Amino acid sequence: MTRRNFASRAAGPLLLGVPTLFLLALFVVPLASMVVLSFWRTENYHIVQDWNLGNYITLATGGPYVTFLIRSLVMATVVSVISIVIAWPVSYAIILYGGRYRLLFTLAFAVPFLTGEVLRVIALQGLLGPLGLINGVLMALGAAPLRFIMYTNIASAIGLVYLYLPIVVTVIYLSLLNFDARLIDAAKIFGASPLRAFFEVTWPLNLFGTLIGFALCFIPCLSATLAPRFLGGPNGTLYGMAMAQQFGESGTWALGAAMGVVLFLTSILAVLAIGMRVNLRRTGFTGFGRG
Amino acid sequence: MRGRLAKAATRYALLATLALSYLFLYLPILHIGLAAFAKNANFPYPPRWTLDTFGRLFGNSLYQGAFLNSLMLGIGAGALSTLLAAAATLGLIRHAGRRTGLLLTLFVAPLFVAEVLVGIASLIFNGLFLELQGNLVSAILANAVHCFSYALLIMATQLYRYDWRLDDAAMVFGASPLRTFFEVTLPLIWPGLLGAFIVTFIMAFNNLEISFYLLGATPTLPSVAWGALRYGVKPELYALATAVNLVVVLGLGIMFVLMFTGKATFGHRPERERAV
Repeated sequence: MTRRNFASRAAGPLLLGVPTLFLLALFVVPLASMVVLSFWRTENYHIVQDWNLGNYITLATGGPYVTFLIRSLVMATVVSVISIVIAWPVSYAIILYGGRYRLLFTLAFAVPFLTGEVLRVIALQGLLGPLGLINGVLMALGAAPLRFIMYTNIASAIGLVYLYLPIVVTVIYLSLLNFDARLIDAAKIFGASPLRAFFEVTWPLNLFGTLIGFALCFIPCLSATLAPRFLGGPNGTLYGMAMAQQFGESGTWALGAAMGVVLFLTSILAVLAIGMRVNLRRTGFTGFGRG
Repeated sequence: MRGRLAKAATRYALLATLALSYLFLYLPILHIGLAAFAKNANFPYPPRWTLDTFGRLFGNSLYQGAFLNSLMLGIGAGALSTLLAAAATLGLIRHAGRRTGLLLTLFVAPLFVAEVLVGIASLIFNGLFLELQGNLVSAILANAVHCFSYALLIMATQLYRYDWRLDDAAMVFGASPLRTFFEVTLPLIWPGLLGAFIVTFIMAFNNLEISFYLLGATPTLPSVAWGALRYGVKPELYALATAVNLVVVLGLGIMFVLMFTGKATFGHRPERERAV
């Protein structure tokens, strides 16, 4: 009897403790060490443990870094908004007309998401590049190739929408799946037009899912490294790409760590700014588990 | 009359958006798929079929080694993150009590930190503070962090309708917690575990943004592809992407068939109301 009591009492701490320790050791501590490094400096590829704010001063006053950050913020916002505008009708259509094949329609969106960023960037170059499908078709028809999709910020934006649309669709789909559609019927019975029912019932009650989708698109876009490198042109450098270069070619780890901290804080601030605007109870969020 | 017209218009607009989105997502994939099997790889319309590209890809020892490394990375990170996420999900639902909110925030936090930051932070921690060289193990551990949150979400969506009275019943009849888990819980939740493993395996297998900083000199398929991509797109890369796409489609296909034929459903799952 005592053994059984012990087993059931040990289960909780064990089940929750091991994952917690895992995340603390391999997620929280590394992030903290990045913060520490950002206050040191790099000299000739060596780290000097000398506490200073030099990296942040460089980032705040060095012209290109501010430009990169602003460009990344604009890019991430535009891409996230476009993705949500596309993802809403898509997930709504899957819910309405998917029938018993809903799961298949949703999984079909996950296939491109799971094939990895490098391979999808390769596929995108096959679509947008100078020798790609679009320009190939245009040239076969005797038209001039489209310049604005070759190594430009527009190409980067198309690429990022391509990369992160699937996750936004999945999140909004899940939100709609758990939404009780009888509420729409109720609104209509009481005389609301379909448009009004949508904007006063469906949209606000799925706002939480939409905002999660926004965050899960915005954050990786903000730190995108691959898409701007291979799709964006000479004026397409984004913050994440510049950060990755600090750890590669230029070897200035401390500056890179400071850029990492800036990206991390910007993402957190963006999520908080979105989160503050949402009244969770109004959005129908029922907490974790027994919904 | 006007109402019916508006309804039909909405319907066609929604379906058209859906179709266009699939076209947008799959056009590049189909294009490079065709290009991989064609001699005229740049513009394979109409294609002149060949398997040479795949022959060169599979015959290349660099890609062979990279494939094995990617496989180990995927299995390691997938298994580790699935096991940890299973423990965390069960713990959250059954044992967390008042700490649920705090723990859940920690468990899904990696979703809200960009992959490249996880990679760079782990690189700094390993290289600077532990003075460890990058290798496959450090890449597995860092990938498991990112995969953990996805595995947790997948399992949570599957598990939160699980009927825990079944476990209680087993315990009332004298089964130990361990026996209850292996004879009642596990047989009912394995589809969630399998789904989480398949998804996390594929994610870690294809990951570059985390692995890149932690692999040291170990090549994996994405890192080799990245290296080759810097010198321009070659047909071999199309073939590689196509091969991986086919495997992913196969994996998700198996998952779908299992779920669809009812081989993998959950015991005592209440029929949910129609969503929309």
